[in-house]
Amino acid sequence: MNTGSAELVADARERLIDRARREQLVTIGYSVLDSPLGPLWTAVGPRGVATIAYGQEPDARELRRLVAVFGPGIVPDRKRTDELARELDQYFAGTRREFDVAADLTGLTPFYRAILRATARVPYGEVTTYAAVAKRAGNERASRAAGGALSSNPIPIVVPCHRVVATNGSLGGYAGGLDAKRRLLELERGEAPEGGWPSRRGQERAERRA
Amino acid sequence: MKEPAKTFGELLERHEREIFAYALRLTGRRDDADDLYQETFLAAFRGWPPPRRDHERAWLYKIATNKAIDRDRRRRPAVSVDDLRLAAPDRDGVTLIDLASAIRELPAGQRAAFVMRTVEGRPYREVAVALECSEEAARTRVSEATKKVRAALR
Repeated sequence: MNTGSAELVADARERLIDRARREQLVTIGYSVLDSPLGPLWTAVGPRGVATIAYGQEPDARELRRLVAVFGPGIVPDRKRTDELARELDQYFAGTRREFDVAADLTGLTPFYRAILRATARVPYGEVTTYAAVAKRAGNERASRAAGGALSSNPIPIVVPCHRVVATNGSLGGYAGGLDAKRRLLELERGEAPEGGWPSRRGQERAERRA
Repeated sequence: MKEPAKTFGELLERHEREIFAYALRLTGRRDDADDLYQETFLAAFRGWPPPRRDHERAWLYKIATNKAIDRDRRRRPAVSVDDLRLAAPDRDGVTLIDLASAIRELPAGQRAAFVMRTVEGRPYREVAVALECSEEAARTRVSEATKKVRAALR
């Protein structure tokens, strides 16, 4: 189809999503945002941000989790991710230190939630260890499990698991790759390029596979 | 074959363009195509889950075809020239307008069969699923429709 009709489809889709939402058929709106760390697949649910995944789409496990928790009503909807996109832009530009968007941790186990909440309390620009996070979450000896929970953190950046490193001082792991973790820590230490990284407003790529 | 779509978004990303194109060809009007596309996917969402992947597209065509027939019963469409350029394929010696108005004059079931088979090149198997009839009946409808369109274009 030519460009003109692709626009027609995009318009029709927007109206379809509005109607589906009014009928309460839809639970989650997603879009792919551009960031200095590459594309981010972001999903916003009824209570806040449910997923931030590095790349154009979530991995199969995360998608299964979303469907299990929120049902199949997961649709491309840039309006739903707009606020998150704005806050991420500000964060990457160095002008935002905390996120105001809520995190939706529905469906995660109490231990995961405790680890993610403890991680969310690590201040901007600081680092802590997996052991310290485990301790804050109420189980000092669970540092390996804490590492495991953070490796499948569904909302990186907003739940700042990049601020958690290994006890021996090495970076540990990161879903977005260690280079991304290093760059986030540099950004928060004020070592990013003057004026922050170039901010590129999120761009929906939901039609990429069509 | 791959798995069926797990989310509404996956279903849309896989099929929305061709369903919109089909709706445009069936109705000949952008506004009606827009409505038909929305009604088709809303019905799919309400009727979740989709059948196995092999049949996912045929399932959507079936919904779209039934919705189009329902709409047809309520009113006869008027055709706007602008929309026809998007709706009709190129044919030597026949204007798009001629072809689209010939298609428009067909009864709804024949029109759907003709558009799917002749305009979009779908296999009879899929046409039959979408129209909920046998392949033989689908062939008959296409051949009846073709005769009528030829006669109209003569």
